[in-house]
Amino acid sequence: MKVSKNWINEYLNAETISDEHLGEILTDIGLEVEGVEQVEKVKGSLKGVKVGKVLTCQRHPNADRLSLTTVDVGGEAPLQVVCGAPNVDAGQTVLVATVGTVLYGEAGEAFTIKKGKIRGEVSEGMICAEDELGLGSSHDGIMVLEQDYAPGTHAADVFEMEQDTVYEIGLTPNRSDATGHIGVARDVNAYLRTNEGWTDALSMPQKMDTLKTAPKGSFEIEIRDTDRCPRYSGLLLRNVKIAPSPDWMQFKLKAIGVRPINNVVDITNYILHEYGQPLHAFDADKVNGNKIIVQTLPEGTPFTTLDEVQRKMGAEDLMICDGQGTPMCIAGVFGGLDSGVTEQTVNIFLESAQFDAKAIRRTSYKHQLRTDAAMRFEKGSDPNITVEALQRAAFLMRELAGAEVDEVIIDQYPTPVPEKEVVLRYEMANRLIGTVLSADKIQEILLAMDMKIVSSDEVSVTVQVPTNKTDVLREVDLIEEILRIYGYNKVPLPDKLSYVLSFKDADKNLINRRKVGSILTSLGFSEMMGLSLMSSNKVKETLGLDDKDLILINNTSNTNLDAMRPNLIFSGLESVAHNLNHQQRDLKLYEWGRVYYRNEGGEVVEKMQLSILMTGDFRPEHWKVQGERKSDFYDTQSVVRALLRRLGIKTFQEEVIDGDEAWEYGMKFFRGPKALAEFGAVSQKLLGGHNIKQPVFGALMHWENIAPAAAKAKILFERIPKTPAVRRDLAIVIDSNASYAGIERIIRKAAGKLLREVTVFDIYKSEKHLGKGKVSYAIKMVFQDPNKTLRDKDVDKVMGKIIREVEQQLGGHIRK
Amino acid sequence: MDIFDRVKALQEEIDQFTTQDAEALEAFRIRFLGSKNIIKPLFSEIRNVPNERKKEFGQLLNTLKQTAKEKYDSTRAGLAQTTQKGGDIPDLTLPGMPVAEGAFHPVSIIMDEVIDIFRRIGFSVAEDREVEEDWYNFTAMNTPEDHPARDMQDTFYVLNDPGRLLRTHTSSVQSRVMTTTQPPIRIIAPGRVYRNETVSARSHCQFHQVEGLYVAEGVSFADLKQTILYYAREMYGPDARIRLRPSYFPFTEPSAEVDVYWGLKDETDYRITKGTGWLEILGCGMVDPAVLENCGIDPDKYTGFAFGMGIERQAMLKYRIDDIRLFFENDRRFLSQFSAAK
Repeated sequence: MKVSKNWINEYLNAETISDEHLGEILTDIGLEVEGVEQVEKVKGSLKGVKVGKVLTCQRHPNADRLSLTTVDVGGEAPLQVVCGAPNVDAGQTVLVATVGTVLYGEAGEAFTIKKGKIRGEVSEGMICAEDELGLGSSHDGIMVLEQDYAPGTHAADVFEMEQDTVYEIGLTPNRSDATGHIGVARDVNAYLRTNEGWTDALSMPQKMDTLKTAPKGSFEIEIRDTDRCPRYSGLLLRNVKIAPSPDWMQFKLKAIGVRPINNVVDITNYILHEYGQPLHAFDADKVNGNKIIVQTLPEGTPFTTLDEVQRKMGAEDLMICDGQGTPMCIAGVFGGLDSGVTEQTVNIFLESAQFDAKAIRRTSYKHQLRTDAAMRFEKGSDPNITVEALQRAAFLMRELAGAEVDEVIIDQYPTPVPEKEVVLRYEMANRLIGTVLSADKIQEILLAMDMKIVSSDEVSVTVQVPTNKTDVLREVDLIEEILRIYGYNKVPLPDKLSYVLSFKDADKNLINRRKVGSILTSLGFSEMMGLSLMSSNKVKETLGLDDKDLILINNTSNTNLDAMRPNLIFSGLESVAHNLNHQQRDLKLYEWGRVYYRNEGGEVVEKMQLSILMTGDFRPEHWKVQGERKSDFYDTQSVVRALLRRLGIKTFQEEVIDGDEAWEYGMKFFRGPKALAEFGAVSQKLLGGHNIKQPVFGALMHWENIAPAAAKAKILFERIPKTPAVRRDLAIVIDSNASYAGIERIIRKAAGKLLREVTVFDIYKSEKHLGKGKVSYAIKMVFQDPNKTLRDKDVDKVMGKIIREVEQQLGGHIRK
Repeated sequence: MDIFDRVKALQEEIDQFTTQDAEALEAFRIRFLGSKNIIKPLFSEIRNVPNERKKEFGQLLNTLKQTAKEKYDSTRAGLAQTTQKGGDIPDLTLPGMPVAEGAFHPVSIIMDEVIDIFRRIGFSVAEDREVEEDWYNFTAMNTPEDHPARDMQDTFYVLNDPGRLLRTHTSSVQSRVMTTTQPPIRIIAPGRVYRNETVSARSHCQFHQVEGLYVAEGVSFADLKQTILYYAREMYGPDARIRLRPSYFPFTEPSAEVDVYWGLKDETDYRITKGTGWLEILGCGMVDPAVLENCGIDPDKYTGFAFGMGIERQAMLKYRIDDIRLFFENDRRFLSQFSAAK
């Protein structure tokens, strides 16, 4: 909303306040200044334009319609100026834009006056018409001044070059009291009275106070829907002379960005921006039956609005209709094409009503008609201002449009809204604000805001809240009003910071997540954050899901993002694909993210997961090592094992995934029914969904199962054994389709508790030396007994058992 | 041999000298530059030179000395640059095997920074769902129907599931916590939120917020102000100044927006502060009694404050990122730039 300083000054007389200070005050009282603009009545303020005396005027030798003049503009010699206006003549006092002057066209475009030749004759300036200077709209020849000013006088000294400062204010929805200049002035005044010792009341504008109201008059008003329209007032104005409105009004409207149209329209706009009360003018002769009916119409009723668009009205849209029930206007939102004021209008019926904020809001949004009127009504307008606004309008219509004002304002107000009484406890105000405001100070602030004090005692004050403050209904609202005017920034800071102790272990989850993040970044993984929203088609096609499995969103702004991601690996691949498409082929990424889907019962499931993705080189090529080293399945396995270890999760079951939706192949770790992690080569299906051609390896950690286990993990010190450890190696030749895990399991079982460590350090395949389909595992084992030093024969005994078990159970043999 | 020929021979020896061997170089040093070097005694020979050639002889000796020094220095530098098989010290200038370097995401860096600032003064982390019920996101938070914040333009509603939506703010965690916990409550709620907005460089349909809530007996606006000032000073430096502007949120009364003084040092500052020097950092206020009541907390006994802030915007300011979409594209060249941040 734009607010003009000149305009505010009409009510507040705050000329002495600097532009900057007024801006600060506005922001301090909750009318945030988002921008400040200096406005000139005439753009450029006529700089360079001078009074000139036409000395000679003769026909241009080469052009019939042009004149060749000499003009004295106070310089050493007169200027020669070519002029195209028919009315130019010697002896006239005119306005000359001298060379170098910048003039502005109607649309604000600049053009500079240059010395030049017109049809062969030199022209050193331009004799200007009214519209060329921005002093009016007339283009009927050059402007001839009646008064005899000295040549060379600056035009800016002849015409009053009014200027204004305009503030762009971000009006919050609760400020129904500040939708017009009077409301803003009242709030500024309250601030000045409270904080800067002002005592003046506002000066209110002239209006026809004597104009009384009656339920009936020359017109009849019938409200058929008093919920949507609690009050409807109207006034008949006869013999209106439609003409441009006066300069001062045009400048004020232009300053706040409202285009002047004619006196009637301008007056309604003026009052809108003065009182915040929207008015609507009907051509009274087009209102059949001299009657207004306020009602809703059947769903689908067609109605053509002022913008010449035919709309289908809904059964909830309130309409202003004439006596025959023909709709003329969408109440409080937008006028109709056929009932409005035109150049031919003689009699006007002026509406000033109050409509229900919610109803206006719904209609305005439904039809996408975000008009000035709608934006004010939907904040909640004051039902008790309708008549005053008409009294003001009557005054202006009489003065500026020669209107004959009807005898009475017709007013239908079935249930008058009284000013609400609110009780304010001083103790509560100070408890909430955290400072000590005396009862006197609180009352002073209330009075400064033009609130009426009904009664007061030692503990509280009862206040009548003006009906323009539709958002001030409760004690706490009143406290906000007081604090707003007192000044948020004046509330003193306490000398201690308040604190309560929390004994919850709530942050354990956060701490463990951060630990995982630190480990992963140290391992070269970068944290990513993907979109939670994906294309439902892509999800359904690739993952083979149905609508019923997904959480679908009405994404009207981005239609390709209409489903919540059900799979973190799949969504993460989107970022992998982005990188691959930008020549970034070696990636190590991880993401903390939620997945969202519906379970079989249709319930919404939302889970936190950790995904890890790697592709391309595991490490860059390097002079110390031959060849490249690509990321592979075993890298993901090591990362997952390391993370679980670092989270204190030592025991879990393992299972090989022989291909499923997510993994081409992989493994899964779980505890009982709960999956902890799964990892492997990302399936071709998922890769194909993003058109990824190179292999990607990944892991998914089910944080909802890991977090509780990690939170419970305990570390208990184990004594370091004093006895020596014994290493033995074994090369086991076995069918290549047997798994290493099987061998290790047998070794562990056979070795019992003396075995401290077992690991494979070489794998060898050779048809020539081992035979077809055989593989040799070189296995390292470490034995130790914490209580005694192991002798060779102790270890030999265990080794013998291991070898026997491997040979018997797996059909393997020992390579010598 | 003529003394001049001896000098000439030495000069030639120096000029010809070349080696890849550190020991040979050391022998050269001892011979020509050591304390008992071969050039030194020649200077005493000068008295045997005829007077008319004394000057020339002196100059030759000086050249000899100087070229020996130059030769030694340049040969030594050359040796250090190339690997020497069998040498004592390998070429130390070769790059070693790089240590892996990952990076945290800028949003999580800022989010953790904010979380830690408030954890230091006793706030605990609370998290809750993103696919939320209307009641927790709006109704409980005193956002009546037909309120602007409920516009179809702004909220993602879940299809075929009336009353379910993607939370538009982390304030929904306030109602989740307050309906299950009695005061004192002192939490911060970080998380992802959604708005039905077209994705562009300046706005996104998903972003992150951190919400704070403190409800107890006797919590006042002054306490709120002090907590916010503490935050501003931790985040923007010990001299940070703040100003509070009255504002409007349905769930707080009184409500304020908080600006920190950013300054007007260059054109960017003018742009981001709209020429005022003040930069909006968060919204806050006293929890509206209606919200407390909706959540089953006695508003006559307890008061509280709440605040909420966006994370992406702070990250964009801090790192001068000019396009919000970069956060969610995860370009490796973007992510790797933050490896030094945390």
